[in-house]
Amino acid sequence: MSNLAVTGTRIRAVMHRHLVVLRRSPHRWFEISFWPAMDVLLWGSLGVFVARQAAATRAGTPYLLAGITMFWVFTQAQFSIALGVNEETWTRNILNVLTTPISELEYFAGIALFGLLKLALCVSTLTVVTAALFDFNLSRLGWPAVPIALLLMVNGWALGLIGVGLVLRFGQSAEILIWGVNYAVLSFSGVFFPASALPKGIEVVSRQLPTTKLFDAVRRQLDGTGLSWSSMGIAAIGSFVFLMLAATFAFALLRVFRRRGFVTRYS
Amino acid sequence: MVCRLWAKSVTLCGMTGERNVVLARALTKRFGVNTAVDGMDLIVGAGERVGLLGPNGAGKTTTLLMLLGAITPDAGTVELAGFSLPRHRTRALARVGFVAGYLPLPENLKVREALTIFAGFYGIRRPERVIEEAIARFDIGHLAEQQSRELSSGQRTLVSIVKSTLHQPALLVLDEPTASLDPDVARRVRDSMLDIHREFGTTLLVTSHNMREVETLCERVVIMARGRIAADGTPSGVAAQFGTDDLEGAFLEVAERSRTTGPGPHISAGVRP
Repeated sequence: MSNLAVTGTRIRAVMHRHLVVLRRSPHRWFEISFWPAMDVLLWGSLGVFVARQAAATRAGTPYLLAGITMFWVFTQAQFSIALGVNEETWTRNILNVLTTPISELEYFAGIALFGLLKLALCVSTLTVVTAALFDFNLSRLGWPAVPIALLLMVNGWALGLIGVGLVLRFGQSAEILIWGVNYAVLSFSGVFFPASALPKGIEVVSRQLPTTKLFDAVRRQLDGTGLSWSSMGIAAIGSFVFLMLAATFAFALLRVFRRRGFVTRYS
Repeated sequence: MVCRLWAKSVTLCGMTGERNVVLARALTKRFGVNTAVDGMDLIVGAGERVGLLGPNGAGKTTTLLMLLGAITPDAGTVELAGFSLPRHRTRALARVGFVAGYLPLPENLKVREALTIFAGFYGIRRPERVIEEAIARFDIGHLAEQQSRELSSGQRTLVSIVKSTLHQPALLVLDEPTASLDPDVARRVRDSMLDIHREFGTTLLVTSHNMREVETLCERVVIMARGRIAADGTPSGVAAQFGTDDLEGAFLEVAERSRTTGPGPHISAGVRP
């Protein structure tokens, strides 16, 4: 078998491993369906309530629903990486994996690709819930939703890799960061509102983030003003730079993990 | 592909046709102020059955994990089947299997699923036949549809051995494979290891605290104390070196010396008998 075929076999094995876990663990469906649906209910209802108070804020509900949907695209990508590796620490399987020939890149590729399946299930759930409860159709975003979603996934993978690095370095107590750090993105990236609505000091930070430009692009689509290609280009460059930096961080902490013998925490 | 022949006589592995499956030089590992492994040399030839022994804290598991690339040494080099670590980790580990008595398989997988997945990790593209043969060889067909969490300790160890030999490794590393097993199950695990060795010529590198087991299983023992090799030879040869009747006596002597003075005499550190 060629090296490429062997790599494909290993990546498929990773996907198979996580598919079996998902199939056999009903609680794992919470992060795919239940929590996203609850978020839609929360933010959609808030938008409806605010819209009833003043006609001028009627645009708020689509902003909130499209924003939370795209936020879950980002979050699912992050979870696919971070929780994929955590699955091996939870089941004390990490030493078993580390003593097989699978490479780190093959493993990450496997969990990222498996994450696409979870993402598809999550977005399907959100599409149905937003349509059924709030008469909002995600197709209003048009084809630009695809590049926006792809770049949000790149950012999610990057944040997931940072979470993996922290768990490898600091142990399972660092898992709290995986669950909490995406809410920093929720606050700093203007998921529901323009960066100009943020407090001044935070606004400056927010405008530098690729995710801010991507959520801004979502609102531009809803407003019918179209994509800003220069803004999307900057967001794309920023997203891939973030991914490279995050990968460098994760691999550096994996080296620390090996050098300091932290694998014995899980054996 | 050379390793696929695995076993007809002497296994030749790696890029240069190495006859040594393990070649570790000056391995050193410190954790803070403690030196777990202190400049250890270890050479294991193809087809050998080697017991790595030592009191608790002697550095056995750290050594094994460095040999497997799971822990990076502070100093020294490791070659497995002719491939150096960490540079050629993937190619090296494609020729190695690892079993630890303390290490469970993922509990949310059925045995057959776990075997299929690990076969994939080893790069076996269509693993069904390989798995069926392995299940038949080890007589674990009745366990195939059970979830790993439902297995007893002995069953788990057996399945781990099956998992680690699906790819027909040149080297099988076993860390305390019979710890906490009752004698009957432990014998079955031992028999499985010997069957693999006989059938495929697989090199065995085993840690154990059961000296009788080691005498049965291994033709060579390496005793570690305080991170160094304190003795290396045949079980009877090592016993004779320490003036004891059996391996257990030699082990106790090494343990006693390491508690009071140091690692004891270097009988033939790193040199095969």
